[in-house]
Amino acid sequence: MSWIANSIRTAIRVWTPQLTSVRFRYHADKVAKGPRPRRYGYKEKAEIRGLLPHIISGKRIPMPVYKPKNVWHEKRALFGQNDYIDILGNEKLHPTRILYDVRPWLRGVNGNEYQVLLRKRKMYKNGLFPIIRPTKWLELQKRIRYLYKFLNRKTKTGMSNI
Amino acid sequence: MATGKYGRELALSMLRTLPRVTLGNIRNNPGSRKNPKRGRGQHGGDKHGAGNKGSGQRQNYMRLGYETGNTPFYLRFGYEPYYKGHHLRRQYPPLSLKTLQMLIDTNRLDISKPIDLTALQNTGVFSIKLDWKHSGFQLTDEGANHFKAKINIEVQWTSEPVIAAIEKNGGVITTAYYDTNSLFSVVDPETTFRRGEPIPKRLLPPADCLEYYSSAATRGYLADPEKISYERLVLAQKYGYQLPKIEDDPDYEILTMRKDPRQIFYGLEPGWVVSLKDKAILKPKDEYLKEYYAS
Amino acid sequence: MSLILRNIVGKFHGCQCRLAKFSTAVQSQSTENQEVTPIISKRSYIDEDRLYLKRREVWLENLDTVDAKKLGLVYLHPEVYGAQPRIDIIHENARWQRMYRYVCYDHTKTRAEVRGGGRKPWPQKGTGRARHGSIRSPLWKGGGIAHGPRSPTPHFYMLPFYTRVAGLASTLSVKLAQDDLHLVNELEIPTDDPAYIIDLIDARNWGPAVLFVDDYDIMPKNITMATDTIKHVNLMPVYGLNVFSMLKHQTLVLTERAAKAIEDKLVFHMNRTDAARAGRKFRLSQY
Repeated sequence: MSWIANSIRTAIRVWTPQLTSVRFRYHADKVAKGPRPRRYGYKEKAEIRGLLPHIISGKRIPMPVYKPKNVWHEKRALFGQNDYIDILGNEKLHPTRILYDVRPWLRGVNGNEYQVLLRKRKMYKNGLFPIIRPTKWLELQKRIRYLYKFLNRKTKTGMSNI
Repeated sequence: MATGKYGRELALSMLRTLPRVTLGNIRNNPGSRKNPKRGRGQHGGDKHGAGNKGSGQRQNYMRLGYETGNTPFYLRFGYEPYYKGHHLRRQYPPLSLKTLQMLIDTNRLDISKPIDLTALQNTGVFSIKLDWKHSGFQLTDEGANHFKAKINIEVQWTSEPVIAAIEKNGGVITTAYYDTNSLFSVVDPETTFRRGEPIPKRLLPPADCLEYYSSAATRGYLADPEKISYERLVLAQKYGYQLPKIEDDPDYEILTMRKDPRQIFYGLEPGWVVSLKDKAILKPKDEYLKEYYAS
Repeated sequence: MSLILRNIVGKFHGCQCRLAKFSTAVQSQSTENQEVTPIISKRSYIDEDRLYLKRREVWLENLDTVDAKKLGLVYLHPEVYGAQPRIDIIHENARWQRMYRYVCYDHTKTRAEVRGGGRKPWPQKGTGRARHGSIRSPLWKGGGIAHGPRSPTPHFYMLPFYTRVAGLASTLSVKLAQDDLHLVNELEIPTDDPAYIIDLIDARNWGPAVLFVDDYDIMPKNITMATDTIKHVNLMPVYGLNVFSMLKHQTLVLTERAAKAIEDKLVFHMNRTDAARAGRKFRLSQY
């Protein structure tokens, strides 16, 4: 029976009229017309292309002028001097004792904000600081009080490895 | 590798041709520093190794000993305080005769002088921890058969075989008590002197060890010397050795040196102030001070 | 077979080195001065019988002429000047030197510290606006900063004592191995003119940055005045020497006394009996 189906199919193919498509739009024309306007009437406020800064209107943010620092300024040329004084010099001196450019109560201190503030309070409470800087002193006390509550009531101990 | 060098020599010879080591090209070993921040990037939204939900993420472990409703094991029985007051008891870290012999053989201890706690501490091998209630050394009998030195030693605790081992070689041993304050000065004289404090007066032993330190059998420093020489003879007969005569010994001076019960350094008396800076010794002059520091 | 080959090659290499050294020595010495008796400086050490490497041999040079004259040989301790060049330990030391003194004073105010903001800006309900309780909340412009830096933030940590000893030995060894460490007899120069030092550094192919180290902190007048205006040529006493400065300056110039003082100190620390006491953990209350 397949021959019947085949002959019908050939007959249909023969009788199909040939169509010729007429083109009115060409891609070359589209390219020649330039890009299609998008968001008509909207003005871009920021420059998207190129380097920063991207502001078109208003004052431009100035790029900082490149000023190389003097790497051989005396404080940098001799940076680290006496850090090994306990090894190469007097064994009784510890390098933390001669950090004269660090505040005395911060020499050799490490810890979180709470621990550092507690040390600061301990060092300053008997001096003039509370009298001549009452607001700073109050802020210090408030922060210590807040951190005490936060650390003891809202955090767990020994979980800081995140 | 054709140079035939290995290890350190190879590294140093390679450095000759490598660029100069500067601040800009040194780095630590890879992986030696852990980033304190959690990883972002490709797997930043994952669980960071904590698993899916539950105790892995929340660490909500039950409290120690809690048995989900049962009476916990630690509450099931009555309290039996075997170790009551153990934190207040004195500890005597051991020092064996074997170690002592080794210290003498390796020249860390000078046997031409009496050996006391300061001499032992100056070897740099031991540490007396006052906050662990250490109260001095106990001399133990390990290596007693090989002990051959003739010494004058002062320890804080000892046993009979140790006394026998030392006296057999012609030496002498004393057990002496140091209270915490004088012990601090004995183990670290430099700090005491640097503080400018007078050398403290040694206190008498407390009631629980008074008997030990006044007994001649344990060679206590408060015992009667007559009784000690009797006990020396008794011990020699018990262990079966000929007791060497101290009186005929060329080192008689050293062997008979003892500290006063109130004294903590040989040659220095309580109440004296040692100035390391001026290299001077200041002695008390006032009568009440002399009376206080008198033995 | 390979062993024999390696031996032969090794010997050949040794010969080459020796030849090269001989030729340079002849060139420089024959033109300069022939009557000088060379100084051979060799000492005994407490750990002499336990040395793994041979002593390091270093030329002793002079500073009183622009061109180098070789005055003799100095033998240095191999555990100090020929230690294993551990770049990681050098890095740890340099990092520690930067960090242990560094305190960050960056500061931001929290919502509690910014002025105002106590009043609720508008009612909770009914305005159609988002609910807010304070105009100083971190969401607001001009509000407080959440999790901002708080001043002061110290970055102090203490590098273990023996890591610092190893850092010094490693750096000195690297400097020597790379021909960046020179020994001179003394720091006396004939003039206080900075040009002399510049010429000298140029002629000897040092630097540009040079660190002169002596064992005493009062330096000779001429070299002090000559290096005063040159920022990258510096003077330092032995007790001030450190890993960072050695790395920052390309060339390290030690006087013979300084080299021996460093050696004495480091050999002492490497062999001291109370090493455990020296290397104990840092506690602020102790110092």
